[in-house]
Amino acid sequence: MNDFVLQTVTQILMPFIQVYGIFVVLNGHLSPGGGFAGGTILGASIILYALTVDVKAAEGIYPDERAEMVESASVLVFVLLGLISLMMGRNFLTNIGIFPSPETGTLLTGGFIMPVTLAIGAKVASTVITLFTHLFEEKKS
Amino acid sequence: MNHLPIVVICTSLIGAFASPVLGKGRPWLPGILARIIVPANAVLLGILLAHVGDVGVFHYFVGGWAPPWGIALNVDYLSLYMAMAIHVISTIILVFARGDLGHEVRLDGHRWYYTLFLLLVAAMTALAFSNDFFNIFVFTEVATIAACALIAIKAYRECVEASFKYLILSTVGSGFILLALALLYMVTGHFNLSLVAGEMAAAAEAYPMNIMVALVLLIVGFGVKSAMFPLHVWLPDAHSSAPSPSSAILSGLVVKIYAVVLIRVILTVFGRGVLSTAPIAEMLLLLSSAAIIGGSLFALAQRDIKRLLAYSTVAQIGYIYLGISLLSESGTMGGLVHIFNHALMKTLLFLAAGAMIHQTGLRDITKLSGIAKKMPITMGVFSIGALSMVGIPGFNGFISKMYLATGAFEAGKPAFIIVILLSSLLNGLYYLPIVVRAFLGAPDEGEVFTRDRIPLSMTIPLVALGLACIYFGLIPGPLLELVRRAAEHLILL
Repeated sequence: MNDFVLQTVTQILMPFIQVYGIFVVLNGHLSPGGGFAGGTILGASIILYALTVDVKAAEGIYPDERAEMVESASVLVFVLLGLISLMMGRNFLTNIGIFPSPETGTLLTGGFIMPVTLAIGAKVASTVITLFTHLFEEKKS
Repeated sequence: MNHLPIVVICTSLIGAFASPVLGKGRPWLPGILARIIVPANAVLLGILLAHVGDVGVFHYFVGGWAPPWGIALNVDYLSLYMAMAIHVISTIILVFARGDLGHEVRLDGHRWYYTLFLLLVAAMTALAFSNDFFNIFVFTEVATIAACALIAIKAYRECVEASFKYLILSTVGSGFILLALALLYMVTGHFNLSLVAGEMAAAAEAYPMNIMVALVLLIVGFGVKSAMFPLHVWLPDAHSSAPSPSSAILSGLVVKIYAVVLIRVILTVFGRGVLSTAPIAEMLLLLSSAAIIGGSLFALAQRDIKRLLAYSTVAQIGYIYLGISLLSESGTMGGLVHIFNHALMKTLLFLAAGAMIHQTGLRDITKLSGIAKKMPITMGVFSIGALSMVGIPGFNGFISKMYLATGAFEAGKPAFIIVILLSSLLNGLYYLPIVVRAFLGAPDEGEVFTRDRIPLSMTIPLVALGLACIYFGLIPGPLLELVRRAAEHLILL
């Protein structure tokens, strides 16, 4: 799409969208939102760029190989966090008593909930982008 | 010790998601990883079985949260039996895949193949252990999507079409299941199977409509996924077009895990009380009889060997439902033991068919005449599988049929013995000509042999499965003891 206004506005908006996405992911355990919602917002920023500016360039920002790695790694992070409590002799995915949880309302509260939300955010963001690029390629061919 | 069920599920999951990362540029590595993880987990399950024998059945609470807050895993004999079956059969299929996969899936797709395979194993194991409705729903979805992708991975036109058909029908089934869970949650307020079972009598009294609709939706939903007779239309395409190792796991295990979940839900959650208010068991009996006869008749009409085996699966799923819905101890045992026996036989037959296709490129049964002279081992074990399917004494298929027939007597419904006998006859009609033609027929001049012999990694699983069919036919004692405990658990409630 070759529209100057659209492209400029998109490029100005992109960092704000992404910062908002990261905010929603990080505050998943404190405020409405979470890994899924924030990840979708992050993914949507790249999709917006692809739609308005250039698909090839968007793929350059977030290549397929990196998406593969991020998707696998984020699931592994989730499972391994669960296994940490198993190694401490407690049930799988036990949070209380294993992971430190400072006072309620701060960012690091909730033990492993924030790392898990981060992993979910990364997974969802890269899945949304991969789905888009694959559907787009299909349309092309 | 108590953590073993979750360890088994998690190692498969870790293997599944490590495969695409480790397999990048090293396409041989994910296969080795899978062939280490699954047999190791089978050993762990053996240890867990011994442990349960010492301390009795128990529940495992994920995250340390007891129900109604947390998710519970139910470690009883039924779940252990299914998990063992899944891991033992998967191990054999994985060994076979080492030799066979190369000519069915492109090399850069191998790491995804093992990802999907391990994901499917993890999801099925979780389904076997799960004691939570929503957990069951989630892992049903995981297993369905992994199974669809395992069919489509060949990227041929007919595979994608079959996979798409499976995906659409399965998704409709999932929708039904979700709706049923919502209805149950409305009237019982719980997702945990044991707690729902506790509320069931009161809920059935106050809201009989909700309970009945939920029961029917669950039967239809899981019925689609486990290819219960009139809902089986996706199965022949899906199971015949997939790569042979995928066909084996789909036909041998995947359809049955849904049947087991449905059986567990019907018998332990709804229970005899609800079943007695409507002729559910009678309907299941009629449907499974139709499956047994209909599936066999359809199989008779097939010329493609993998389609024939796929239709035979439709009939064999009928046996499992028949045994369970007789609601007698021997019948339940027959249905449950047939899950493992059929998994052995059908895996054997699909892998043998895969070996034949691998060597000759032929799928048409009329062209396989005289093939036993070129592939004596493959055709020999194929004959064991075929005889087992027919139910000749001395093979494991006979044990299941004997228990099913005894169960029909116990339940006071001897008419179903005729169904079992008739279907044995039909099985003989479509399996034995293949065997006879292969051994006695003259080799066709126009044969196309693209490879001279199959690799050892394909022969060993075939021989192992053939020996297992005979072993469990001659010495079924330990297996039957495990199944008896699983059946007792279902029947008592």
